[in-house]
Amino acid sequence: MKQSNTISGPEFRDMFAAATNWLEKSASDIDALNVFPVPDGDTGTNMLLTMRSTVEEAYKVNEPSVSAVAQAMANGALMGARGNSGVILSQIWSGIAQGLSDKETFNGKDLAKALTQASETAYKGLSNPVEGTILTVMKDASIAGQKQAAKNGGDAMAVMEAAVNAASESVANTPTLLPVLKEAGVVDAGGQGLFTLLDGALRYLRGEVELMRFRKPQMVSSKIPMTPITVTAPEKVGAHEIPFGYCTEFLLKGKELEPEKLKHKLVRRGQSLIVVGDDTTARVHIHTIDPGSIIHFATTLGTVHSVSIRNMDEQHQDFLEMQKSRTPVADIEIVAVAAGDGLADVFTSLGVASVVAGGQTMNPSTKDILQAVESLRSKKIIILPNNKNIVMTAEKVQALTEKHIHVVPSKTIPQGIAALLSFDYEADFDINTRIMTEALTSIKTVEITRAVRATQFNGLSIKKKQAIGLLDGTIVAVADELIDVLRSTLTKAGMKKAEVVTLYYGEDTGESEAQKVKKEIASRYPNLQIEVVKGGQPHYNFIGSVE
Amino acid sequence: MTVKIVTDSTSDIPASLALELGITVVPHMVFFGRESFLDRVDITTDEFYRRLTLENIYPTTTQPAPGVFADVYQKLLKGNDEILAIVLSSKLSGTFRSAVNAVGMVEGKNRIEVIDSSLTTMSLGLTVISAAKIASQKGATLEDVSRVVKAKLPHANTIMAFDTLKFLAKGGRIGKAQGLLGSLLAVKPVLTLKDGEVAPMTRLRSMAKAADYLYNHIARVSHVEALAVEYATTPNEADVLVARLGAIYPVDSIYKSVVSPVLGTYTGPNVLAVSFIESK
Repeated sequence: MKQSNTISGPEFRDMFAAATNWLEKSASDIDALNVFPVPDGDTGTNMLLTMRSTVEEAYKVNEPSVSAVAQAMANGALMGARGNSGVILSQIWSGIAQGLSDKETFNGKDLAKALTQASETAYKGLSNPVEGTILTVMKDASIAGQKQAAKNGGDAMAVMEAAVNAASESVANTPTLLPVLKEAGVVDAGGQGLFTLLDGALRYLRGEVELMRFRKPQMVSSKIPMTPITVTAPEKVGAHEIPFGYCTEFLLKGKELEPEKLKHKLVRRGQSLIVVGDDTTARVHIHTIDPGSIIHFATTLGTVHSVSIRNMDEQHQDFLEMQKSRTPVADIEIVAVAAGDGLADVFTSLGVASVVAGGQTMNPSTKDILQAVESLRSKKIIILPNNKNIVMTAEKVQALTEKHIHVVPSKTIPQGIAALLSFDYEADFDINTRIMTEALTSIKTVEITRAVRATQFNGLSIKKKQAIGLLDGTIVAVADELIDVLRSTLTKAGMKKAEVVTLYYGEDTGESEAQKVKKEIASRYPNLQIEVVKGGQPHYNFIGSVE
Repeated sequence: MTVKIVTDSTSDIPASLALELGITVVPHMVFFGRESFLDRVDITTDEFYRRLTLENIYPTTTQPAPGVFADVYQKLLKGNDEILAIVLSSKLSGTFRSAVNAVGMVEGKNRIEVIDSSLTTMSLGLTVISAAKIASQKGATLEDVSRVVKAKLPHANTIMAFDTLKFLAKGGRIGKAQGLLGSLLAVKPVLTLKDGEVAPMTRLRSMAKAADYLYNHIARVSHVEALAVEYATTPNEADVLVARLGAIYPVDSIYKSVVSPVLGTYTGPNVLAVSFIESK
């Protein structure tokens, strides 16, 4: 273990040389994450190449002061920046250098200040900063660094640790901030890259250089459930945006360039504009369909260097190919019908690719289900109707599509969930349909609702608005109080053999009421595993499964 | 001349059995924060799971360094002896690379062979045990043992019922089971090894149902050549499963062992697993 209260220039350089090697190990994994701003699949590589140039410059410095080393690194980053993420990274370096200017060595407080400066400079460099990207990760890391420094200022390692932990959390959170990530089921690539760099630097400080040679950086997983059973290639991503065009980058040298003004002049000429640098050297990155006019304009301001124009449509194709090779072979997708946000989320979290809204008294049309089927990538689709009145509607879909459709005739929501859970990842389309159909009878369904009119049924006399309980679709209990009906319906479902009871509470039922019900059942059946989940379904106060 | 068998501690072979069969088990390292332990050497499984359950810290692990393997090789290479090292899947750990790199560091390197098993836990363990048994036969050469082991590997596998995938995800080894994360219902995922990586099989609502699933899977295997049951913190569940499996396979021949700390780091507590070799 290294004592790292203060850090010198050469140590700072070595720390990020190690971090760059660390990044190299996951550069290709990071490439595969890339969907924002365009899915061109090169974020990891771009960040790596930018860092190489950054570190190279640091080795040319003979002064031991950290300010000189950091300044050299900022220059190296600026000169070598590649792509969106590389340019933002160069902004981060520029901020770090500003934060560490005039320092011989630095401690935790200085580091926290430099990270904050880095975050601020990075935000300033963009015409339109987007949250859920490398920017957010940098910001979150710097805030955590500041907090740690305020507590225990001197220890650089403690500040770095806090920043790395926050960065990891922040990366996991990116899909909740940026819908395009959620849609593609990935975390932000640039954010992951930044986390990997900071993590590499921390590991160096901890003295883990040897260990790092044999290990791979961690890829952060998303916090939110969003993974369908098959990986959907992100073809949809960005499809509604303008054509990708050309990723255009160059270095502009001259006098009084004024990056802020330059940014104003270029902002309408394309997307993903980044202008960084100072009055004598500026790096420009823009996605445009007319790179010629941009370069032409730039030559009127100064001399143009290191011009790079890449066709992003080609990059995008390569990216799609790369994604394709990652898609598992078991190419089955599942469509489920469900009413209520909670139930839709439950189905999605268990791997359903598309949820069609509908259920009791609001049956979807064949066309609604067909649309869901056609929107999916797979040619083999299993439909879970989850209501006895929708089974036939679902069965009509096959006649209207070229895709292969199997309907697993689930008549209730719990049956649909039981079928979905039994999905076998090793088995093919036909066998899975059989396994899922068999699973329908593995559970009993309990539904609790209120009568809409007075009636007689099965020898039960039911008054309007009384609570009624259904077991597998048949009314078996009636009473004034919901809890009484639930209790007797569960008893009829055979609680002696039951291991797990799951209750989905409806839109008219509060969570506190649901928890009270849970307690009440738990006190009667101490060995039972009871789970209460928000279903948000209309009409039914509770839908439950007994298994 | 003898063929000596080397493996790593993810093979989960009970220490007494390893000793009896002359198997050298190279330990991984397990870290709780800054504290480091040699897997099953400096830390017992009981102590590990106690800390894993009670302490608010995720342990981390690292594979044995090449130097550790080199030391082991050097000590074992006496006279004309040969070494067969069978280690866990190279897709889950750098152990295979360590074990291979170490070969170049010792004298007599042409008498050492390293096999990437594509397995881990007792499916690796069972293969290693059978290798040790073949190696103990008179006149067995490195080539003989290696050939038999390689023939068995495709027919060995492990099926694990997890209480949670939290630890596996945290450790970055979730592989193709990624899609099982984030379920809004409490489910017990069942995973297996496929092409050396962790892959999903199915999901069940309770550990009791998961144990049924493990039993049914073994019941469908046509000829079980070797069988093992593993647990982390639930010996009673493992006993019940062993007793049930006794209907299919001689109960005295079923190995029972505890998931090593190095693997427990990723499985978490309450995991229950069966490993088997199917004879062809």
